[in-house]
Amino acid sequence: MKNNESWDWEINASTKWFDWHLREIISYKDLLFRFVRRNLIASYQQTILGPFWVFIQPALTTLVYYLIFGKVVKISTGGIPPVLFYLSGILFWSFFSDCLNGTMYTFLQNANIFNKVYFPRLVVPVSNVISHSVRISIQLLLFILIYVYNLVTVGLYGNYYILLTPLLLLLTAGFGLGAGLIISVFTAKYRDLDYALQFILRLFMFATPVVYPASIVPARYQLLFWLNPLTVVTETFRAAYFTHEPVHYLRLAFCVIEVLFLLVVGITLFKKKELKIMDVV
Amino acid sequence: MIAIKVENISKVYRIGKSGSGRLREDIRFWLRRQHADKHLLWALKDINFEINQGEVMGFIGNNGAGKSTLLKIISSITTPTTGRIKGRGSIASLLEVGSGFHGDLTGRENIFLNGNILGMKNQEIKNCFDEIIAFSGVEELIDTPVKHYSSGMYMRLAFAVAAHLNPEILIVDEVLAVGDVEFQRKCLGKMKEISDRKGKTVLFVSHNTQALQNLCDRVITLHRGHIIDAGKPAEVITNYLKSTDNNYLAQSYEAPESAPGNDYIRIKKIEIQYDTEIFDIRTPFSTKFEFWYNDPEPGSLIVGIHLFNMAGECIFDVASKGAQLRAGLITGECQIPGNFLNNGAYYISIVFVKDTTQRLFYFEGCLSFSVEDFRENTAWFGKWMGYVRPAFPIVLNQQHVL
Repeated sequence: MKNNESWDWEINASTKWFDWHLREIISYKDLLFRFVRRNLIASYQQTILGPFWVFIQPALTTLVYYLIFGKVVKISTGGIPPVLFYLSGILFWSFFSDCLNGTMYTFLQNANIFNKVYFPRLVVPVSNVISHSVRISIQLLLFILIYVYNLVTVGLYGNYYILLTPLLLLLTAGFGLGAGLIISVFTAKYRDLDYALQFILRLFMFATPVVYPASIVPARYQLLFWLNPLTVVTETFRAAYFTHEPVHYLRLAFCVIEVLFLLVVGITLFKKKELKIMDVV
Repeated sequence: MIAIKVENISKVYRIGKSGSGRLREDIRFWLRRQHADKHLLWALKDINFEINQGEVMGFIGNNGAGKSTLLKIISSITTPTTGRIKGRGSIASLLEVGSGFHGDLTGRENIFLNGNILGMKNQEIKNCFDEIIAFSGVEELIDTPVKHYSSGMYMRLAFAVAAHLNPEILIVDEVLAVGDVEFQRKCLGKMKEISDRKGKTVLFVSHNTQALQNLCDRVITLHRGHIIDAGKPAEVITNYLKSTDNNYLAQSYEAPESAPGNDYIRIKKIEIQYDTEIFDIRTPFSTKFEFWYNDPEPGSLIVGIHLFNMAGECIFDVASKGAQLRAGLITGECQIPGNFLNNGAYYISIVFVKDTTQRLFYFEGCLSFSVEDFRENTAWFGKWMGYVRPAFPIVLNQQHVL
């Protein structure tokens, strides 16, 4: 009975905190990208316009916002061309809400497969966020197209801080993923959270400068207002593309810390609960 | 060398109070701290066993015995409440076939999707891609979305992927219970090949006692979360079949007043008798009955026995000759030979008819029983076709020698 005490794996009653098994997730990278591929292919099956919906959705929303908030309600856009102003707000907001919505029902939507096969559960939400990242990257092309058109015809300000765009996207994805992971553990157990969450999410959109500029927020709410990572992201993006103003590094740094904190809490909670939660779904 | 060592595994499900899915009740529960034992359901309790490398271990037990929970714990799908499991070698589990199949994707895409989900790398799938397609037999439709497949084709494709998994330890749960006879034959053949030739460690749960008997080196019987028997397949399966008598083999009544029937007929006793330990396809049996007959104007009495399978299809309807009987206690018997019924579950009804036209009493579904399978020298364990399974001889003669 040689090396009878060396085992390859062990299953225990207890799961440890901060045991993320990141190496295991990397070994499942084929599955990760397979899910991304599935999400992208499957979501436009049996649609007439197919992948064009990636463009149509933000374009139509921009049009509606332009008509309602720009022409009827007449909210200031802080001197930014209205179409670009609304489009930038919509792109970041919808990217965030897609990442969040795609993550927070992970257990409910995948209960069937989670009950039959083992793989690191984190693969599902991460692949979801990657799929949405692909979509926003394509949508940004639309933005850049309109941006360049405006640059040529009316002339725009803008500065080198536009190079921060990838970081801003990462922060948005991280915010959606981190918050989504935390929420997913609770939606699995308490179904009625669903209704409350969709309501809160709608309110949260109005707490984010999607259809109005940060400058119209009263001074006494400014501090609270900038605590929202999406405010920082959206406003930094607009400042980079439409102004000469330098980036507010303090706000950006704080935003990074908030997102990292959410991610650490989210992943830890998710990994800790990923197996036990299936007993109650 | 030991492949899997299971130590003191228990699994408890909390039913009722906590985990009810309602926030208010959960809060109330935690405030009161009522951890009453009556809300705990022990799906498994103190399970210990070891499986050697290359061994095929079968698990048998009634529904709710804990088989599936055990496999889920070993597969890391859920966690045990106590205990631990240690193992050597890569592990893959097939608790269903076609996990993650997406109707809108083509067969080709689904092979990769399902393979990745089961833990295969892209390269591994590419290496056996042609084999998978050949095994599934859906070559022409491989670039068609699987939602257009028939359910049989869908299952074949799903099993084809699963059959090409190449772990050191394979866990299989009842996936063979689905699909048609042809498909089951293919699956079981593949299972046999995996266990025989490739020398893999296999954990296999099934209700198909024939398959267990032929595939497994050892079998464990679970009952309400405990191991109640383990050892050589033949003995364990025999014990299991003896213990799980869900059949309604007899009913008898002391007095006519409480007996089923009417003014003409009262059933005293009806039963199925056989002499062997196990009731399988070879076993002759007899249906014996006694009844109180009380017809003020007796005529010619006929007693008929109807045998149905569980799908409600009548296998036979036999009737006695008409008899002139007087009021009193009557007994009767119907002998049914061995090597006649196919394996399966059956029920019996008995009918009393007067003068060939007047139905006096119909006692529907009064007995039920099941006939176990028996085969010798065969490598095929799928469901044998047909309602009956007679041992008619088929004689082969060699006419020429080439």
